[in-house]
Amino acid sequence: MTDRPHRDTIALEDARVLSQDAYPGDQRILRLAAPACARDARPGQFVHLRCDPRLALRRPLSIMRADPDAGSIELLYKVVGEGTRLLATRRPGETLSLLGPIGQPFAPHAERPRALLIGGGVGLPPMVFLADALRRAPPWRPFAILGSEVPFPFDLQPARHPIAGLPAEASAAMPLLDDWGVPNRLASRQGYPGCFSGYVTDLAEHWLAALDEAARAEVEVFACGPHPMLAAVADLARRWGLPCQVSLEEYMACGVGGCAGCVVEVRTPDGPAMKRVCVDGPVFAAEQVFFAA
Amino acid sequence: MMTSPATDPRLAIDFCGLAFASPLVLLSGCVGFGEEYTRVRGFSNRDVGAVCLKGTTLAPRLGNQPHRVFETPCGMLNAIGLQNPGVDHVVERILPGLDFAETRFIANVSGSTVEEYHEVTRRFDDSPIDAIEVNISCPNVKEGGVAFGNDIAMSAQVVTACRQATRKPLIIKLSPNQTDIAGNARACLEAGADAFSVINTLMGMAIDSERRRPVIGNNQGGLSGPAIKPIALLKVHQVYQVCRPHGVPIIGQGGVENGRDALEFLIAGASAVGIGTALFYDPLLCREINATIADYLTRHGLERVADLTGTLCLN
Ligand SMILES: Cc1cc2nc3c(=O)[nH]c(=O)nc-3n(C[C@H](O)[C@H](O)[C@H](O)COP(=O)(O)OP(=O)(O)OC[C@H]3O[C@@H](n4cnc5c(N)ncnc54)[C@H](O)[C@@H]3O)c2cc1C
Ligand SMILES: Cc1cc2nc3c(=O)[nH]c(=O)nc-3n(C[C@H](O)[C@H](O)[C@H](O)COP(=O)(O)O)c2cc1C
Ligand code: FES
Repeated sequence: MTDRPHRDTIALEDARVLSQDAYPGDQRILRLAAPACARDARPGQFVHLRCDPRLALRRPLSIMRADPDAGSIELLYKVVGEGTRLLATRRPGETLSLLGPIGQPFAPHAERPRALLIGGGVGLPPMVFLADALRRAPPWRPFAILGSEVPFPFDLQPARHPIAGLPAEASAAMPLLDDWGVPNRLASRQGYPGCFSGYVTDLAEHWLAALDEAARAEVEVFACGPHPMLAAVADLARRWGLPCQVSLEEYMACGVGGCAGCVVEVRTPDGPAMKRVCVDGPVFAAEQVFFAA
Repeated sequence: MMTSPATDPRLAIDFCGLAFASPLVLLSGCVGFGEEYTRVRGFSNRDVGAVCLKGTTLAPRLGNQPHRVFETPCGMLNAIGLQNPGVDHVVERILPGLDFAETRFIANVSGSTVEEYHEVTRRFDDSPIDAIEVNISCPNVKEGGVAFGNDIAMSAQVVTACRQATRKPLIIKLSPNQTDIAGNARACLEAGADAFSVINTLMGMAIDSERRRPVIGNNQGGLSGPAIKPIALLKVHQVYQVCRPHGVPIIGQGGVENGRDALEFLIAGASAVGIGTALFYDPLLCREINATIADYLTRHGLERVADLTGTLCLN
């Protein structure tokens, strides 16, 4: 009998909208009752949502938080087109067909407990989820750098956890992570008060430069965000000799590995290959997808 | 509890001598190499009569650059570019992992030359695969890239070459991108086709007006989903006129998304009904479709689903 460990790993459920809150920059935080997904979800995984019965395809969105006890999950998304526009009209009590959790999660290595989490824009959700998982799991000590060019979907507060080597202007933090005891700082080029003025990678550079060599050998980088940001993070990790995992996006149809519609070209020891972002990813080793110039 | 085909013998059909537990067939390119959808809890290959595997070529192919899929009104475009690991890998590494007790598995053969079609078919002939579907919509590299399936003579050549390579049931998948699909079917039948799949996708384009570029990496792609259903129904009806005297069955397909759609294809002349794009938003819809068909048989006093095939009364 052949081993088929992939079977029955993704649930299909009618998720009930618990709440949907609007934030500046057309962002929404959507909370759904989806007990099967909430139970199994791991940081880096996503759900494939039927935003509206009128649309032929589902939409992939990363899981930001999962509460197995309450049976709920939380998503953060930006309204960018028809699917997300229709999703934003969904009210509490309505149901949405949800497939999830899907994909390979982040795989942090215990010998590198200094996890550097870098999230840009709507790449924030998997970083929040990963921070939550790592703070509960010794020996990890995550530090998060979050960037946005639209107002952050939370109120900024003065950072409570001191971090060496950062410019003084990087003084604000995301309250949720701060409350969890996860040090974090914010970056933007929009001049928001308390935020570092520049790219997330520039701020990360400051942090890495301030670590001694032994500490740096304990760093592993995790990132999710727009493609140019991920390329810059991959480059940063390469220059500092750090392992790095990135979460990618590509247009999807099935979301479960059936159509090969969502591929990204990767480098493997056997040469180039096309890997599916939905089930082979969305998390990939940065050096597999961002090649040195 | 939904009716499952295993418990409703009225849904079983004989397809070219193969026992299908249900007239439903999962379509090539939508379910990978047969195991991908089993990731979804509640999904079972047992709910369908057969599963068509992804298009397979002689050598491995990387396929097209992204984007490969894009939603369009009532459907989608795809241009995967036949990404597959090559026929030897499929036969030696993938087929042994499939559970042939669950359903029938049908290979889907593609090629750039008549010789490639022949060779891929020959290798599948020497495998446990239940039947071979030939996708003749591929570009003929020796004729400037025009699709074999859009030309009657070239279609017949491919069928002849594949027929020489196998005694397994040979299903020819007809392209809608041609003027005389019935004439093509006739030529394929004479060349040795045992059955037809009707229809493959229609070629289309989506344009990003801001960038003034096609959205699809390959510029053009195949249109599938509910948008093509009326076209598919007419083509099935037309091909059925050719098939009926010979008792040659058709797998009707194109935009089926519920039980009523499936019934329409059966009435138009299909013996089996393919499900592709609709799985992408409802992975579990086959059970529901089986139940709808079973209910229809009861309401119309029919003993078996085969009694419904080609029962269309024209006005
Ligand atoms: C694994 C994964 C996780 C994601 N997580 C988030 C998240 O947490 N928050 C968030 O705001 N967005 C996320 N995205 C992007 C999100 O899926 C798209 O913004 C969304 O699909 C756009 O749909 P639309 O109909 O509103 O936009 P349109 O531009 O009208 O979409 C047209 C088509 O293109 C597809 N598409 C367009 N942009 C993207 C994209 N960036 N990625 C994938 N498909 C796209 C759509 O799915 C749709 O089929 C994620 C994407 C992936 C692949
Ligand atoms: C993503 C995708 C990939 C496909 N790949 C193949 C293929 O490799 N070979 C083939 O014969 N047909 C292929 N098809 C066509 C389908 O098998 C089917 O004929 C068509 O999509 C119409 O049915 P539908 O509207 O139910 O999807 C593909 C379709 C889709 C959507
Ligand atoms: S979306 Fe179909 S394989 Fe990934």
